[in-house]
Amino acid sequence: MNDTILNPPAAPAPMGGLNKQLNRLGLSPLSLGLFILLALVPLVLRDQYWLHLMTISLMFGALSMGFDLSAGFINVANWGYSAFMGVGAYTSAILLERYGISPWIGMVVGGFFAALLGFLTGLITLRLRGMFTAILTWFLGLTLVALATQLVDLTRGSMGMMAEELFDSYTKDPYYYTILGLCFITFCVVTKMVNSKLGLAFRAIGQSQDAAESLGVNPARYRIINFTTSCAIAGVIGGFYAHFMCIITPEFLHTKHTIEILFIAFIGGRGSVWGGLVCAFFLIPALEFARPIVEWRFVIYGVFMIMVMIFMPEGIAPHITKAVNKLFPRLKSE
Amino acid sequence: MEFLDLWDLILSGVIRGGLYVLMAMGLSLVFGVMNIPNFAHGEFYMIGAYAAYFTAQFLVPDPFVCLIFAGLAGFIAGTAAEKLTFAPLRKYTKGNWIMNTFMVTAGITFILQNVIQATLGVNYHGINEYWGGTVNSLGGIGISVDRLLAFGLAMAAVFIFWLFLNYTKTGNAIRAVSESETGARLIGINISYIHTLTFALSCMLVAIAGAVLLPINPAYPTMGLQPLYKSWFVVILVGLGNTSATLAGGMIVGLIEAFSAYYLGTGWMDVASLSVICLILIFKPSGLFGSEVRGVWEQ
Repeated sequence: MNDTILNPPAAPAPMGGLNKQLNRLGLSPLSLGLFILLALVPLVLRDQYWLHLMTISLMFGALSMGFDLSAGFINVANWGYSAFMGVGAYTSAILLERYGISPWIGMVVGGFFAALLGFLTGLITLRLRGMFTAILTWFLGLTLVALATQLVDLTRGSMGMMAEELFDSYTKDPYYYTILGLCFITFCVVTKMVNSKLGLAFRAIGQSQDAAESLGVNPARYRIINFTTSCAIAGVIGGFYAHFMCIITPEFLHTKHTIEILFIAFIGGRGSVWGGLVCAFFLIPALEFARPIVEWRFVIYGVFMIMVMIFMPEGIAPHITKAVNKLFPRLKSE
Repeated sequence: MEFLDLWDLILSGVIRGGLYVLMAMGLSLVFGVMNIPNFAHGEFYMIGAYAAYFTAQFLVPDPFVCLIFAGLAGFIAGTAAEKLTFAPLRKYTKGNWIMNTFMVTAGITFILQNVIQATLGVNYHGINEYWGGTVNSLGGIGISVDRLLAFGLAMAAVFIFWLFLNYTKTGNAIRAVSESETGARLIGINISYIHTLTFALSCMLVAIAGAVLLPINPAYPTMGLQPLYKSWFVVILVGLGNTSATLAGGMIVGLIEAFSAYYLGTGWMDVASLSVICLILIFKPSGLFGSEVRGVWEQ
């Protein structure tokens, strides 16, 4: 029943049958089309620098979707998100260096550890509301930064750790396809989750925990599910990051990176899931091309952020949806 | 451990803590009055440090003049920040105020850090001393006069600020707004004026802290991070928005740090104090002394 509420069958369109099949995977014709388009990019785009940028954009897109799952739905911004990412990255790098375990397994184990930490964080923050959870995760993240700096035996401290690359390849193609796959899975998992009964519970908790509780929604269970999933995504992508960049330092866990993800997710649109992914494709290359003006690009970035917060706190996603619906009235997506 | 060693530890903890009081006071005030969790607090500390440096270098190397100029710079920067960001945000925003302001302050951090880095570079801008010299404590460790006087000045600033809050009409108005915005509006207090003034004063206090600590911590673009964490530590410890308990909170934080630095070394000190914050947030989120500001969390 919930399905019909959230995804009203878009009139008797010819695509109705296909729509239903895709919905089962958490996709819509539009999003599937865009992902196929993204998969074709390396065939056309042979410039390695561009592929590198696209890879990073996809990475931030995936992270912002994971972040949005808790910030946009249960209304808890995880200010230590980059630390959860760092847990995945360090786990994978340490497993490879110490025990020679393949980075592929490392990424999964990293995701598992990040999820475990997310589970515990979700558990201990149950009593806390909104801002307090944000602050707790922030300081938890900083604690992990301090730990990563201090545990020199394990992490080589502030010198940073080398992580062997994932592929022995001259081109960026395999990385691109790996992160595209991860991004695709993230997208499916998150959309599927928020379009199901779980999503309804998340939204209810996000709007008012007391009201949700009085209606018989158990906030504990849903908050923990939400947090664990969100952190697992961070851990896996963090593992990928480590083997893509080949070096991780405690600096990587720092709040600065959380803010980057947060900016992308918020400008993209809270509670939209795909907004951050779209936004990443604009922001990351824009930041990269603004490199010649060094620090001033961050100044512009900051001004932009404040402007968005003041004049468009809902982000760009609703506006895109409106535009798409106007252009292709038959495609009623998301 | 000998008694005198203990004495020294307590002394260094208190001296450290006095500055934390000055830093955290503004953060707590802004949270209590405006409901803004200020992530950019450290940046105003940095502005104070730079202002003091340039005053000392190019105008007069007199500590008090440095302090006044730093306070002025902080006040102006705070006014500008409030008028340009929070005032319009208050006008346009519908709900989710705390999260939005947190984001805006993160934006301010980005802007201020990078403007300073672009114009002044990443180098340290420091001065050797305000007064110079050291005095020996009972236990025999030397404490620099600068540190002692920084403590004294911080306490004086906090005291003057306390007098202002409690014994002037404007100060009372600020406290009234922190208790109930609607009530304050009803009795004719100009809310937007109080908001701007509060934010500016908060920035002024932390800028003064940056100025008095200049001989110890030279000015550089990202110097605001440490004061930011410490201020948050103090504020969370005593309860968000509880301005009067900041004094005790700052001292406790200073002592925790002095003792953990002695027993664990400075590297582990951060781990220890951050863990303490996490524990407080988990077990006693309203802080040790409780907070008068309530209802903010209940979304």
